[in-house]
Order: sequence, then structure tokens, then C-alpha cells
Amino acid sequence: MTHRLKAMAQLLALACVAGLLALLVWQLDHQRHAPPIGSIAPAFTLRRLDGSGTVSLASLRGRPVVLNFWSSSCVTCKSEAPVLERDWTRYRPRGVVFLGVDYNDLASAARTFVAAHGLTFPILKDGSASVTSTYGVAQAPETYVVNRRGRILAHLAGPITAPGFRGEFHAALAKATA
Amino acid sequence: MIPRFLAVFGAALVLAGPASACARPRTSLPYLEGQVMCPTCHTTLDQSDSAAAHQIEVFISQKIAACWTAQRIESALVANYGQGILAAPSHKGFDLLAWWLPIVGVLAGAVILAFGVWRWSRRREPEEPDGPTGSGLDEETERRLDDLLARFD
Repeated sequence: MTHRLKAMAQLLALACVAGLLALLVWQLDHQRHAPPIGSIAPAFTLRRLDGSGTVSLASLRGRPVVLNFWSSSCVTCKSEAPVLERDWTRYRPRGVVFLGVDYNDLASAARTFVAAHGLTFPILKDGSASVTSTYGVAQAPETYVVNRRGRILAHLAGPITAPGFRGEFHAALAKATA
Repeated sequence: MIPRFLAVFGAALVLAGPASACARPRTSLPYLEGQVMCPTCHTTLDQSDSAAAHQIEVFISQKIAACWTAQRIESALVANYGQGILAAPSHKGFDLLAWWLPIVGVLAGAVILAFGVWRWSRRREPEEPDGPTGSGLDEETERRLDDLLARFD
């Protein structure tokens, strides 16, 4: 009886350790990383900030998409916003869709930001930042350029106004619209 | 005359409303700063100095001034940011596990400890000397010793 109890206790302890190890492995495996260039952009459906329905990435298949992750509390997003709006006006006739994804932000503050910068491209609200996390966004602003087949052409982890990123952004857009 | 009076009275009510609405606030900023997380730095607001935290603090202050309860403010923040904005998990659904598991763990630990102590004390009992049988003498010697001692009675 004693031996059986001892064996059971040992088994239970081993099961606990195995469970903890499994949790650790799961956690390491599920850490969010930016999807690699050339991979299919993670699918999502998000509500529009203005409340007029939802937008899914899948519904835009066949058109190049610029995904810009931003937040109204982000300082560099303020200088990036007018440039994005200008680029949107420039590339829109070529079929490019710009999507702003607002995350970690109050909806009211985001709406004020959009109005203040006169942004006219669709802005989506990622309240819980789940989509943002899927895209491995570490700090706003970050921008992805997705081609017509839904593959990622470029990932700019910083404002598109940065000297190094400006050329890369336009090169990716030229490739996407070719 | 009467419509004009009603219009002025109505305007006075509208204007006076917000000012007098919260003479006695129903919660406080320091309390909520400990309950709400900063979404960018993953600490509570009272430990964060980020712009995102400041933005939420302004929102909370506005709602406290509008006489909102802590629960209502938290609900509004959850609607905007999701459940992760709260420092503590909710008291319903799957989140209940976070509250009950530590208690169950402590109770299970106490039961296991008590069982272990009980078993240990039981195992020790036979080893302790208990009277004549624990004297280390064989039965014959013990009987002769009893006879000898009986002579002195």
C-alpha cells in the first residue's frame, strides 16, 4: 500500500513537471513574430473606427494593400499621417487599398486623430490588439505592403517617413501595382 | 412668456447638470490606476509614464467627473481595449479559474501535507519503546526478573 502511494505521488509530481514544461514550450511556440516577407499576410476581420461595418483582408484579395498600424498616442504617427494620406491619394487610382489599423488606443482619441490629420483611407479598430499581435507589431507605427495574391512584399518597422523606409515603401508599392 | 421660461429653465438644467452631477465622485483615479493596465507597457497605470497610460488616465478622470462608477469605467475600457486592459481577471466564465485555482492549490497542498504528517507519525509509533516488550529482554529472562522482583514486594 505504502509503495503504491509513493509511486502514485511520484507519478503525480512527474505529471506536474511535464505539464509545466508543456506550458513553457507552448508559450515559446506561441510568441508572436512578424510574418516573414513572401508569406501570406495573416487573415483578419476588423470593425471600422467610424462604426460603418467591418473589413476583412480576404475581401481585398486581388488588390495591393498597405496595412499601417498606428495609435493616437504615438508621436511619430503624427508626422507619418499626412504622408500616408498623400500616398493614399497618389496610389488609390492604381487600385491600392490603404488600411489604417488603430490599436492600444481609445476610440474617441483615434477619431480625434483621424479628424485632425484629415485621413480619408479606411481606419480599422483593433481594440484588443489581437491582429496587431498576429503581425508581430512591437511599436507603432509599422507598415506592411501586401500584393494582389495576399503575400507580404515589405514590412517597415518604423515610420514610412524614415529615410531608409521611404524608398523601400515606394519600391514595394511599385512592385505591387506592376 | 411661458415657452421662453421653459427654454431658459431647460438650458439651465442642461448646463447645471454636469457641474452638479458629481459632487461626490463614486470612485477615484488612484484606485483605478491600480486596476487598469497600460496597454503598451503592460504594467498598471500607476507604474507607467507612457503616452498611452496618460491618455487612459485622462479618460478615467473625465468619467469620474461625470460621476461614473469604477465598474462602469472598467466596462467602457474593456469594450475599447478588451479584457486584457484589466489588471485582475473577471469573476465569471473561464477567468474564474484564475481566482479559484490558487485557493484549490493551497487547500490541496494543506491536505497533502496533513496526510504526510499523519502517515509519518503513524510510522514512528511502533519504533517507540512501549513498556516491557520494548525492554530488549527475551521472555524467559523477563519472567525470571519478574519473579525476583516479586520477592521484594
